Amino acid sequence: MKVLNRRLQHIIKGSLGQFLGMAVIIAVGISLYIGITTAFFNLSQSQHSFYQDNNFADHYFYIVRAPESILKQVEKVPGVKLATGRIQKDIPVLKDNQERATVRITSYRLPLDREVNSIQLMGGRLFSSYPASGGMEVMVNPAYFEANRLSWGESIDIVAENRKYPVKVVGTATGPEFTYIMKDAANMMPDNETFGIMMIPLNQAQQLFNLPGQLNQVLVQFVPGADVDTAVQSIKDILSPYGNLASFPRQDQLSHAALDAELTGLDAISGFLPMIFLTVAAAVQFVILRRMIKTQRTQIGILKALGFDNTQIILHFSTYAILICAIGAAIGIGSGVYMASYFSDLYAMFFNLPQAIGGLNYQVILNSILLSLGVGALAGFSASRPVLEISPAESMRPLPPSRSSRSLLENWAWFWTRLSSSWKMAFRTISRNRFRLLVSIFGIVSAVALLILSMFTNDAVDYMMDQHFNKESSYDYLLTFSQPVKDSELLNIARLNGVEHIEGFFSLPVRVHYLGHSEEDVLIGIDPANTLKRPTRENGQFIPIPDDGIILSRRSAERLGLKVGDTVQLETLLGLGPARYAQVKITSINYQLLGNESYITLTQANRILNEARLVNGALMQTDSSQTENIEKHLADMTGINSIVSRNKERDNILSMMDSMIYMVSIMIMFAVVLGFVIIYNSVIMSFNERKRELAALLTIGFTRQEVAGIMWKETIPQAIPAVLLGLPAGKMLAELYFSSVEFDMWYMPVVIYPSSYAMAALGGVVFVLLGQWAASRGIKKLDIIELSKNID
Amino acid sequence: MDKSILMQLQNVTKTYVLGEIKVEALKETNLDIYQGEILVILGPSGSGKSTLLNLIGGMDKPSTGDIFFLDRNLSHASDRDLTLFRRREIGFVFQFYNLVSDLTARENVALAASLVSKPLDNREVLDQVGLADRGDHFPSQLSGGEQQRVSIARAIVKNPTLLLCDEPTGALDYQTGISILELLKQARQTMGSTVILVTHNTAIGAMADRMVRMRSGSVADIIINESPVPPERIEW
Repeated sequence: MKVLNRRLQHIIKGSLGQFLGMAVIIAVGISLYIGITTAFFNLSQSQHSFYQDNNFADHYFYIVRAPESILKQVEKVPGVKLATGRIQKDIPVLKDNQERATVRITSYRLPLDREVNSIQLMGGRLFSSYPASGGMEVMVNPAYFEANRLSWGESIDIVAENRKYPVKVVGTATGPEFTYIMKDAANMMPDNETFGIMMIPLNQAQQLFNLPGQLNQVLVQFVPGADVDTAVQSIKDILSPYGNLASFPRQDQLSHAALDAELTGLDAISGFLPMIFLTVAAAVQFVILRRMIKTQRTQIGILKALGFDNTQIILHFSTYAILICAIGAAIGIGSGVYMASYFSDLYAMFFNLPQAIGGLNYQVILNSILLSLGVGALAGFSASRPVLEISPAESMRPLPPSRSSRSLLENWAWFWTRLSSSWKMAFRTISRNRFRLLVSIFGIVSAVALLILSMFTNDAVDYMMDQHFNKESSYDYLLTFSQPVKDSELLNIARLNGVEHIEGFFSLPVRVHYLGHSEEDVLIGIDPANTLKRPTRENGQFIPIPDDGIILSRRSAERLGLKVGDTVQLETLLGLGPARYAQVKITSINYQLLGNESYITLTQANRILNEARLVNGALMQTDSSQTENIEKHLADMTGINSIVSRNKERDNILSMMDSMIYMVSIMIMFAVVLGFVIIYNSVIMSFNERKRELAALLTIGFTRQEVAGIMWKETIPQAIPAVLLGLPAGKMLAELYFSSVEFDMWYMPVVIYPSSYAMAALGGVVFVLLGQWAASRGIKKLDIIELSKNID
Repeated sequence: MDKSILMQLQNVTKTYVLGEIKVEALKETNLDIYQGEILVILGPSGSGKSTLLNLIGGMDKPSTGDIFFLDRNLSHASDRDLTLFRRREIGFVFQFYNLVSDLTARENVALAASLVSKPLDNREVLDQVGLADRGDHFPSQLSGGEQQRVSIARAIVKNPTLLLCDEPTGALDYQTGISILELLKQARQTMGSTVILVTHNTAIGAMADRMVRMRSGSVADIIINESPVPPERIEW
């Protein structure tokens, strides 16, 4: 076997380019496998332990107000493990620079470990329910603390019930419901400067909102195996006298849904992405080995004649493939661990998980080794089977010329007769090696599809931003008021210097009922003449607000199985006064990309509430030169709960997108490497197979460039259709990926700009050119003297 | 036979470097090649006959010495010039044919014809070698002798000045071999090409106008054959 091993060394040396190329493909596949799978495990482990350690709620119940004693009744419901009550409400923060921010006041009762949705201290200290120095102590989430450059003990002003209160920030904390902090589903990304979580003692919250001994939320954890539906209904029955505003399970909690969507995406991509590379690698290795065994047939015959058995010879050739995979795995593990660390850092940036998202996952590394060696063994052993058929005597005779047959194209006589000999050669060679052709096409299609996949995320986000910021909405500021006001009061804001246009709206939380099922939704009442924010159809066209009827959100329509023409019952969940009901007919479905709200006329919204001309928010268009002045005046108005600047929102998203560019670049590089190696291997194999023929062409008077041109003619009919096929394949891959990571709150269509298709096609051309060039260098070294030697 | 000199080899040597070993494949050789002759180069394996043929055919350059084709010195010609020389002046016939497996017989011939501005007619050439009705067959569908005929057709379609044959009958049986030799002689008669044939089979020397005997890299002897024998009377 030592001799065979030495022989193997020579074979590897003689095919070093192919050997290393395949090892690189394996390395890429293994890197992606380790990087993505480790990130998935790390993230889900962190999520799991964080949820477990902090008693993440299974179900949320929002009520108008209820006494604390209600918790004892809730805890007695069969299946309930733990119940906690709290107060949660969004209020404005007055910042030093006149800017407004919003914080979500969330109350906690000490000690924390017996609370559902507990929090974990990250810095500073825990607040005191009764500070010795008086006043109010709070904690905020770390991202808000850093974005606003706060310091321990700093005092900030909050506004609750139209009164200003100074509070002291003593610590930072995070909880399982705050891993991805967004104000609501209308935001694409967290904006840590203008929205944060403020944690305060329950008694302080009750004082702030004039809710003595009361709660406005109940959080419940169920025992494993409990009949959750029955338990939820029982709890709703208990809470109904206190104004059941909303109830939803953990899976609909915004933060969890965002994290879950990310995990689902990772899980999906960890499955198919590495497999593309490993499958291509296996197929190409199979083809290479088959080719090798065919050309070394005489030598195999000699080995058999000397006394080596089939097993030894098969093992000898299979070792070639296994070595490729072993080296690829070694490189891949190193780069995969680095990639895992990079992804983990990226996730740490996005998700506020307290434990480090990192560390080696030895199971994944072991799996990757087994996977890689498995690929090598599979390719090696299956390709080596022809060794069994070689007999020593037969193998010594020169091989007859390869069987050639007519290409299908020859049936098209008009075309065929016009082809030169070299084109005919090319088409027949392709026709003769159909499996190799399929492998090449599959490889090139995969590479181009990966290029599309890399670029489409950018396109989709770019499209969403364009739709959201330039088409669906054209306001500069969105204001929400702490109380509904008459629309005539908007004149106070309209009169401000720089305000060009203002439109009021009424945002009404509702429950949509249909055939015994219901979904929570947000109903926006706007004047039909409003232009600053409008619902859209699937094709992006604006939908006019009907005088009668509702434009229902896509989310509610999908969840309740509703379509245009159906009639639903709306139940208001305002928390002020009794719930109101109304029957409305669905006139359209709203496909706005962000926000997912339902729309109705302002008149209808007021009619449902038995009111007239009330608004609780406004959209403004302003003169950009007056921004500072406007923001200063708005900040002083205490009746305004929150001020959202669209420009700041856009800038925030763009800064988050920068980190994606690095990932996209890596993916593009991998795709080009894959395509390059496919073409390189295909050309090298064809070249090696026809060395004598090509040398003969040199002898009869073809130049080396002309011979290289003949090789080109074999590549072009494979490469061009494959690159073109890769474009729709890339779109399909994008759709497949997206369908596995649908996030309820956003509707992201699969958008790929023509420029991305063009770039992907260009990328395909680049790797075809590079691969062809690299492989064709052998033509320069083609030794025509070899032809005078008679060994095949 | 026209006695004008077509090619001259003057003090030509060829040394190959194989790793650390230098192989003197051809020692100082002087040889004139005449227009329209049949020259047979004889010698055992390793005698340098194939090396000599490769140098004559412009497939290689001498280590020292000069090779003149008419008045052109090929010893210092560029690769491109040698390629053009082979394209325009040389037809080569190999022992193992070296046809393009993905082209039919006719297409193999057409491939060579495409290289020159005034080739012979493909069909006529195939007819000349007796394969007019086999033109649409691939090499895998032809016998060894038929493949060699295609190889000859491919070589002569360019109407070359020199037809070089390296062991053209080496892979063939006796009858087929004779028929190939007949074709080569016919090529000299119809086209006036100079035919140079390398072989270890001494019997073939009988058809030559001259024989060059090679031994250990040198020309041992040059014999003028006053009475060349027709191929059909050669026996081995």
